[in-house]
Amino acid sequence: MGGQQRLIGLLKPKEWLVVAICLMGTLLFLSFFWPEGFSLDRKDWVIFYAMVAGAIVLEYFMYKLPPEGNHQSMDSTIFLASLFIYGVKFSLMVLFVSAIIIVINRRTVAWWKHYYNFITYSAMIIGAHWAFQWMDGTTGDFIVGEIYAFVLALIAYFSVNIILVAAYFFLLYRNQLIPVLALFVRESLFAYIGILLFSLVLVIMVLKTGFFGILLFLIIAVLLSHVFKQLFLMYHEINDKANKDQRTGLFNHSYLEEKLDEYIKLYREDGKTFSFAMIDLDDFKKYNDMYGHPQGDKLLGFVGSIIKEECEPHGYLAARYGGEEFAIIMPELDKNKARAFVNHVRKRVNNAPFDGVDVLPHGCVSFSAGIIEMSADTYEKSQLVGLSDRAMYISKSKGKNVVTVYGEQTYLPQQFEHEINELEQQIRIFLSKDVYTFKHSKRVFSYAVDMAGILELGEEERRTLILGALIHDIGKLEVPREVLTKRSKLDKDEWEIIKKHVTFGKEFLLATGKYTDLVPLVELHHERYDGGGYPHGLKGTEIPKLARMLCIIDSFDAMTTERPYQRTKSFAEALDEMHRCTGTQFDPELVLPFIRYIERRIELGDIPDEALEAMEQQRKQEARHDDSRTSSG
Amino acid sequence: MVYDGILLGLIVGFIRAGWKNGLIAIGNLRIKGGWAFPILLLVQFLLFYLQGDIPFFAQFNGYFYMVIYVVGLALLWINRHQKGLGIIFVGVLLNFLVMMANGGRMPVSLEAASVLDPIYIEMLRSGDAVSKHFLMDESTRLYFLGDIIPLSPPYPRTQAISIGDVVINVGAFFFLCQLMGKKSKDYVALSQESS
Repeated sequence: MGGQQRLIGLLKPKEWLVVAICLMGTLLFLSFFWPEGFSLDRKDWVIFYAMVAGAIVLEYFMYKLPPEGNHQSMDSTIFLASLFIYGVKFSLMVLFVSAIIIVINRRTVAWWKHYYNFITYSAMIIGAHWAFQWMDGTTGDFIVGEIYAFVLALIAYFSVNIILVAAYFFLLYRNQLIPVLALFVRESLFAYIGILLFSLVLVIMVLKTGFFGILLFLIIAVLLSHVFKQLFLMYHEINDKANKDQRTGLFNHSYLEEKLDEYIKLYREDGKTFSFAMIDLDDFKKYNDMYGHPQGDKLLGFVGSIIKEECEPHGYLAARYGGEEFAIIMPELDKNKARAFVNHVRKRVNNAPFDGVDVLPHGCVSFSAGIIEMSADTYEKSQLVGLSDRAMYISKSKGKNVVTVYGEQTYLPQQFEHEINELEQQIRIFLSKDVYTFKHSKRVFSYAVDMAGILELGEEERRTLILGALIHDIGKLEVPREVLTKRSKLDKDEWEIIKKHVTFGKEFLLATGKYTDLVPLVELHHERYDGGGYPHGLKGTEIPKLARMLCIIDSFDAMTTERPYQRTKSFAEALDEMHRCTGTQFDPELVLPFIRYIERRIELGDIPDEALEAMEQQRKQEARHDDSRTSSG
Repeated sequence: MVYDGILLGLIVGFIRAGWKNGLIAIGNLRIKGGWAFPILLLVQFLLFYLQGDIPFFAQFNGYFYMVIYVVGLALLWINRHQKGLGIIFVGVLLNFLVMMANGGRMPVSLEAASVLDPIYIEMLRSGDAVSKHFLMDESTRLYFLGDIIPLSPPYPRTQAISIGDVVINVGAFFFLCQLMGKKSKDYVALSQESS
């Protein structure tokens, strides 16, 4: 009972129709063998075996026809010839036995598909039988005068087939009935006519020569199938050349556009959503300049193969958009799932070893990506590409190796883009001195871009916060490398030097002159709300609002990524800590929106890699620590 | 029993693999309990030889053959995952079923036997000389699994065979083809794995 209940819940009404069709087909099939069963003369058994073997062989040597996925099997000739010569029971039995053997041979195909296929064939044979009978056709002979009986039987056979196959796609895959019908008729009509006429040829041959007729026919059919296969392969090869990018093995630009149009149409007509990602390799030009174009091409091919490997199992469409740009269409994924997927690909690319990538800023192959989910507002493919491009450029400006979803962060700080670039050049110096500080600055910058949006800051304040976040640790340039990268606990003197970086930073900005408005952020981002910070020990609103904000972001990132002199926290732990320090270290008014923002990111699973890596490392270290403790104790 | 499938499989196998690789491939044949097959064959010959001399064997010949069949089926069953051997299993099973149903002997149809030497048909009719076969009649069970398929010109041999024989030969053909179709480096991997 329980099982039945579950089954009823499991199937949709349309799927019940399929079940009904199958049941009716089964009863129809059985009605022919009720009550007297199936028996044959001894010598007819021989021909029966031959027919079964023929059906299996022909099913195996299916014709593949262009375009993709179209195939035609000649086994119908066997069933029809059996029907015309030996009658409907014989034909149904040939179908039954060959179907069982084919099921055993193809266990990977779902059983119910085999079953529906069997029901379809039975119905076709029975339909042809009725038509033949109705026209008073003579079983076991071929009389030219009865040609209309044969023709009508063939028409019945074809019609039943088309109707049942269309019903299958209509009921299970929600295609529209009439267009599907039209499509099948259009695509298979001619091949079908050929096959049906072949059945008449087979009838004549079997009547004339028995056994030998079947054998001859099988040989011809197998050879034909082979020829068609060659043709199909040739078509495939040419098709590939036209649609694929030779360098990467992905699809090419024009094919992508074609498909994009199709997906947009699908969205409009059937509401099937999809996401589109634009991917651009980071600093590819630099790599190219360094190692030459042939090596650069290899890198492209390498990244392309990774993307292909990741996309193919899911049926996502990956294409090379141009130069070092790739694009992926992800059917049925909303933007968050798409982000998770592209991030996964990004991590795989990051971790994949490739020659010479150490010259790249991230020390590995990386890309920036922009994602857009199809929505009613998007009316054209150029818009999809344009908007995802924009999101991709935000990723670039957030420090590269980032995935951005369009719409969550469309506010590209364009007005001061060149200022961002300029300051970025400054902190690039850290690449040789302390990579951590470089990456930290970029992450803090990225958080700041988001927070500026959340706090709805004015234009001027936005600019200050974002630029200040990017440059806030510039004073560390003056801190000796040994101190910055020291792994053990710092002593008092070293701490004093570290603390001085805020002052160094201020002096740096004052000296260059251009960014003096950022001085408060750089100098005061270590002040605490309760007055316990440095360098001045300012308190509460004595500290400028943006510096208070920066303090929160900076502390959070420091907590969640690896620093030599402290224990790394997970995002959740860091949030606890922030709650605890609200009102002491942090401004309560500013910390709450930030906590909400981080919570949302945790929800979306959008956590920076470095934070995850740092956690991983921390866990390992602690495990080692515990081990040594227990073994010594 | 016909051996055409084996012959054809060997020919195709050698054409595809070449002489040397083909021989290596056959040398690398791995069948669980494979040693039992020659013994079974030997026992069969022994029975055939003894049935003329000792009446005891002549009387229970059918049952001895049944035992051999069961052992053979068991061996095929444990090796069924190798391509072709599963098919051979089915073929042997079909033959076994019809013989079981008819007291351990294989029924032959008159139509199929008509391609054979008339002397042979006479022997079948009298029913005593050929221990493994008998002429089928209305009371024969599962007659459609019996020797009802006549092989005659243009086929280069005259014989009456059963559908089980056909299936066995198809299986043997596939088995030999896949056995000899393997690349020799597969064998290196295989032998390393097993050692």
